[in-house]
Amino acid sequence: MDFLRSADNPWGQDIWIGISWDLVWLAVIASLAFVVLHAIAVRLRGPARIETTPPPADVPETSRVERHSLVARAFHWTMSIAMFALLITAFVPVLGLEFDWVQLHWMAGLLLLATIIWHVIHTLGWQDLWSMWVGPTDVRDGAIELKHALIPGDDDEPKHRTGKYPADHKLYHHAAATAALAATATGLFMMVRIDTPFWTRNPYLFGDGAWGMVYVLHGLAGVGLIGLVAAHVYFAVRPEKRWLTWGMVRGWITRERYRVHFDPTQWPVDELGDPSGDRGGALAEASPRSPQDDA
Amino acid sequence: MGTIRDMIAPFDFFQPATVDDALALLSEHGDDAWVLAGGLDSFDWFKDRIKRPKVVVDLGVIESLSAISESGDGLEIGAMASLTSIVNHARIRADYPLLTTAAEHVATPQIRNQGTLGGNVSQDTRCWYYRSGWPCYRAGGNTCYAAAPQAMNREHCILGASRCVAVSPSDTAPALFALDATMVVRHGRRERVIDAEDFFIGPSTDITRMTILEAGDLLTSIRIPAQWAGARVYYEKVRDRGSWDFALESVAAAFRMDGDMVADARVVVNGVAPYPVRLEAVERSIIGSRASEDLAIGAGEVAIQGVRSLRHNDYKVPMMRNLVKRAVRSVVA
Amino acid sequence: MALIGQDIAPPDLVAKITGRAKYAEDFRAEGMVFCKMLLSPMPHARVRRIDASKALRMEGVIDILTADDVPASEAPREPILSNEPLYEGAPILAVAAVDETTAAAAIEAIDVDLEPLPFVLDPLESLRPGGPDAHEQGNYASRGEWQSVKWTEQDFADAGNHMPRGEALMEWEKGDVEAAFAQADHIVEETIVHQSITHHPMEPRSTMAYWQNGKVYCHTSTQSVARTRVSLAGTLDMDPEDVVLVSEFCGGGFGSKIAGTTHMAVPALFSRKIGRPVMLRVTRYEENYIGRARPGFQCWVKMGVRTDGKVTAIDLFLVQDSGPHGASDWNTAGMIADLTYTPESMRFRAMPIYTNTPPKAAQRGPGGAQIISMLEPILDKAARAAGVDRLEMRLLNAPDADVTFGPNETTLTSVHAKEALRQGAALFGWAEKSALSGTRVGSKASGVGIGLSPYTAGSRGFDGLVLIKPDGKLYVHQGIGNLGTHSIADTARAAADVLGLEWDDVEVVWGNTAQQLPWSSVQAGSQTTHAHTRANHAAGLDAKRKCQEVAARALGGAADDYDVGGGRVFRRGRRGSGLTLAQVAERAIEYGGRFDGHELPESIHTVTTVAAGNLAGQGLLGVAKDEFGGEGAIYSWVVGFARVEVDLETGDVEVMDYTAVTDCGTVLHPRSLGAQVFGGSIQGMGMAMTQRWVFDPKWGVSFAKRFYTARPPGILDVPLDLKWGAVGIADPQSPVGAKGIGEPPVGAGAAAITTAVADALGGNCLCRTPLTPDVILADIEGRRGFGRLEQHVG
Repeated sequence: MDFLRSADNPWGQDIWIGISWDLVWLAVIASLAFVVLHAIAVRLRGPARIETTPPPADVPETSRVERHSLVARAFHWTMSIAMFALLITAFVPVLGLEFDWVQLHWMAGLLLLATIIWHVIHTLGWQDLWSMWVGPTDVRDGAIELKHALIPGDDDEPKHRTGKYPADHKLYHHAAATAALAATATGLFMMVRIDTPFWTRNPYLFGDGAWGMVYVLHGLAGVGLIGLVAAHVYFAVRPEKRWLTWGMVRGWITRERYRVHFDPTQWPVDELGDPSGDRGGALAEASPRSPQDDA
Repeated sequence: MGTIRDMIAPFDFFQPATVDDALALLSEHGDDAWVLAGGLDSFDWFKDRIKRPKVVVDLGVIESLSAISESGDGLEIGAMASLTSIVNHARIRADYPLLTTAAEHVATPQIRNQGTLGGNVSQDTRCWYYRSGWPCYRAGGNTCYAAAPQAMNREHCILGASRCVAVSPSDTAPALFALDATMVVRHGRRERVIDAEDFFIGPSTDITRMTILEAGDLLTSIRIPAQWAGARVYYEKVRDRGSWDFALESVAAAFRMDGDMVADARVVVNGVAPYPVRLEAVERSIIGSRASEDLAIGAGEVAIQGVRSLRHNDYKVPMMRNLVKRAVRSVVA
Repeated sequence: MALIGQDIAPPDLVAKITGRAKYAEDFRAEGMVFCKMLLSPMPHARVRRIDASKALRMEGVIDILTADDVPASEAPREPILSNEPLYEGAPILAVAAVDETTAAAAIEAIDVDLEPLPFVLDPLESLRPGGPDAHEQGNYASRGEWQSVKWTEQDFADAGNHMPRGEALMEWEKGDVEAAFAQADHIVEETIVHQSITHHPMEPRSTMAYWQNGKVYCHTSTQSVARTRVSLAGTLDMDPEDVVLVSEFCGGGFGSKIAGTTHMAVPALFSRKIGRPVMLRVTRYEENYIGRARPGFQCWVKMGVRTDGKVTAIDLFLVQDSGPHGASDWNTAGMIADLTYTPESMRFRAMPIYTNTPPKAAQRGPGGAQIISMLEPILDKAARAAGVDRLEMRLLNAPDADVTFGPNETTLTSVHAKEALRQGAALFGWAEKSALSGTRVGSKASGVGIGLSPYTAGSRGFDGLVLIKPDGKLYVHQGIGNLGTHSIADTARAAADVLGLEWDDVEVVWGNTAQQLPWSSVQAGSQTTHAHTRANHAAGLDAKRKCQEVAARALGGAADDYDVGGGRVFRRGRRGSGLTLAQVAERAIEYGGRFDGHELPESIHTVTTVAAGNLAGQGLLGVAKDEFGGEGAIYSWVVGFARVEVDLETGDVEVMDYTAVTDCGTVLHPRSLGAQVFGGSIQGMGMAMTQRWVFDPKWGVSFAKRFYTARPPGILDVPLDLKWGAVGIADPQSPVGAKGIGEPPVGAGAAAITTAVADALGGNCLCRTPLTPDVILADIEGRRGFGRLEQHVG
């Protein structure tokens, strides 16, 4: 298997023109293998023990805790639409189903870029930047989680409650952000190579060597995103994590989830109020069902 | 790294006697196999050692493939029928003079003796960047050298560009479009009959090939339905050198007239896009109208809506407008 | 009846049309191997490292020949192989192998590490401040002195829509041009682009060479034979006597193979290195690179005329794309402009600038064809401005016998351009056809045009060598070449006519220096018809005199009592008496001395002395140098008349009629002359209409390297009923009166088209070639076309 595609440029010099498409298959297969193996492992090993906290007497367990603001959720889902569009338009033709993908791809790319900019501004202005910071507690919690995952039956130390984002979420975020930024930045350069109403394309903005790097980075980021997105979707639909997914849909989690999974010192929250209150009771009544099967 | 041109690199050469044998060879060798018809496109690639197939399957001795026969109320032309045999065919000349004229406009007499109808529609583009072996999109790379700001692209496209800006070189394809021909393609035992318009694909779908033909496919014949037999037709090809050249642009059109009204029409241009382009908007603009100079002028204007020229091919826009105008003008009483 | 003026098929005809003629690549020698060259992929580069180890390990690969193995040459002279390739396609090295397939595979296995260097394709770009130079030493060299010539920003800014004009490298002036413009009634000013174009001979420059006993035997494709032998000997640093050069047939050269080719040395040197015969079969692809090209011009011209149409002043500034090794077309262009229009004053400036494009060389009418093709439409513009008929305009400005032209006030031996114009106008039907000028039928506009084209057509002082053998036949030894012009046969007639022989009694000996060939002119510059009718006439006279002397000695009486004719030497008035030539030959051998070549005149060239010496004792030898003398340059003229139809909706140009009439002195061979006039004219039409040279500016790599992309014209591109004629007035300074014809028809054919197209477009001179449909349509429609000065596009 080749990792890169190279060719002779018009002067007979060897240049990189991109990653090998074999890597796409590799990413798809690796993602599937991970999902299958992980599912088997979870089944064999059973759930992790979480350190317990007593429920407070004064707050009903069904009351809501806001997890994601509407703006954050809009960002997330817009970005995910862009990401899926990008992955599909990038790789489905490579895997054999041919269609006119170029325009869709770069338009989706621009959408992704817009969401990223939006996200950055929103984060800087209205969100807690530190909630994504990987700190010593994350290292500790991550180590416990990893030990649990790798050593079957290891259950000596219960998982700690975490801040708003557990260590694996943070790491995932940073990996995805890196890949998406790499893909977007390289993609932006590649936009110079297509005609738009604003400019005439110019394949000679950079030399062959620099363009080779751009294409390879774009490809690697894209292939990386196949794995990252596959893992994300997989965890999002896993029964024990679905309540988090619902949190991204609805914006809130229950007080009970909050108490069990999160450390109020790291993630202090305001109450959203009683579900029987005037803030969307019907939604709240329906909601506690879905995460009940939390293993 | 040294480059050698004009010397064919070795390959295994097969001359199957039947279509089934040819298909078996194609299926056996898959992507390694190259179908050889008249060789006028193939040998160019082989000589330049840019395409180096391991196996070449020559259709030259399969007699059935060069037959021209009645098919229902139309005609079935074997893919290996030579362009000269098409030019000289009395029934084609009588009923489908559009195809006769188009075939007559291909290259030189010697090339028409050797070249086939199947080869003429299946040939690869003549973009000189691509044919120089440069790693362009069509060659699997990531650049269109022909669309670079300073590139030499007077022969390239004004429509249908998608990263690649090469044009279809076929002189007969627009005539086949206009006559609503179908292409018979076999793959193993499976036979597909494809509209000529669907036979060609653009770079937006697959940038590395011009037609739907894939490894193992064999274009066996081209069927011309009776529908456009005896129609009023117009063909014109503009080229740099009259004695031998690919088209800068060509137009092929067929008209059914009801008195001086255009009852039905098919208008096709080539040399403007990576595939022959049927101008349905032009057809709509003239069907049901009285043929007149004004109608022709209007048709020309409709034809060029949405074109986008490159640095050196701006002339193609008025040329396309004028060719379409002339095609419609040909039925003005 | 004299042979001169008759249609007689040349002796090589059957071999050619039956395919039996053996060209260079058809030869084989025992143990022969094949070589292939590795060409530079970059327009300018330096070889850092060559790794041929993989190739040399391949079975069947014999050896490699690099720039270090060949004689060095100092830039700007062309090297045989180079470690600093100066154009895409420049040969870097060669590999020999037992067969060509292996040699090709070996080339592909060789890794050459190249460092790209700055390159330039367009001389004007090189002249910009800070612009790249084609050579590391500069963009112009003269006698070893290099310069990096740059114009100023101001020069470029001042030019406006015209060609920029800075300080000139070359300049001459006659009269006071500025004063003449001040007094001119009409002034026309234009900027011109004439593209470079490849020669495209049908036969590429293949060569096979081997060594035996210290001699090199070389089968090559060359225009000239005796001179190629000398040039190869020079390259190999050998005595010409140790070079046996064979080239009986040459599939065209058009100036690209005048004294052989640079790369004929590759197999010769390789064969010396490996001790086996080596064949280099040059492919069409390689021929495109190493096969030479006509240099393109970018010009600015200003022409002033009086109300009556007389050209009073021409100011011509010419920038030449000289390629990496130079070309002298620019010089001829200035001379020919002055000669053709006889302006009262003229200023000529030129900038021959090196570029990283394939090497340039003379191409049929070098300099003249380009400038005539570009200036004739401008003369027409002046004629329109002055309201003078275009035929009259030329009759008024064409030279008479007393003309002097160029910086050295050159004179001519004879000129009948006006007769050619009048005869051509009558044959073409100028009066009726010029009435069609600008008329339209549907979308098609008619245009008529005239191109009057002179070119040098002769030289003096070469040797003739003939032998009458005891078989009674006259053997005419020809050191010129056989590139399809028939001059090997047709110039031999001059000797036969002196001796009054039938053509069946004449054998032409040519194409192989082992057969003893005399010192000759190059087969180029349309020289051979003039130079070698004279030389053979001289040798014929020498043979005749010797026949008379032999007869006198054998039969008594004085030599002057005898005459020669009908295969006999006879007493004047008694044709049946005397000796047959067979008997004369036997007597000559018997008498020896000067009669059979044992004594030779002092005046002949050493090459001829050796050849004649080797023939001594075989019969009666006639050998002499052309000492007829003469004053002035020898020029022939062709005027072409064309009618075209330009489709204003597609830009398509169709040639409807073409007529050419020549002033080339006495007509030697009418049918062959017609072929030359048509062939050259069609070549010129292709130059004006279709043929192109295209490079990608970013990579400096050429595209028009196939017949179908370069588009030289074919016979189907012209009307079938082309007409030609000849004035047929003998040149008074030559005993035979014949002048050459190869060159001038090109400019005539090209200019007839450029003027006719401009005429169809209402006098709008597009002032560039080729006039392809895109250029014409873009102009008509006001669309974006090529830049005003863009070179190498299309």
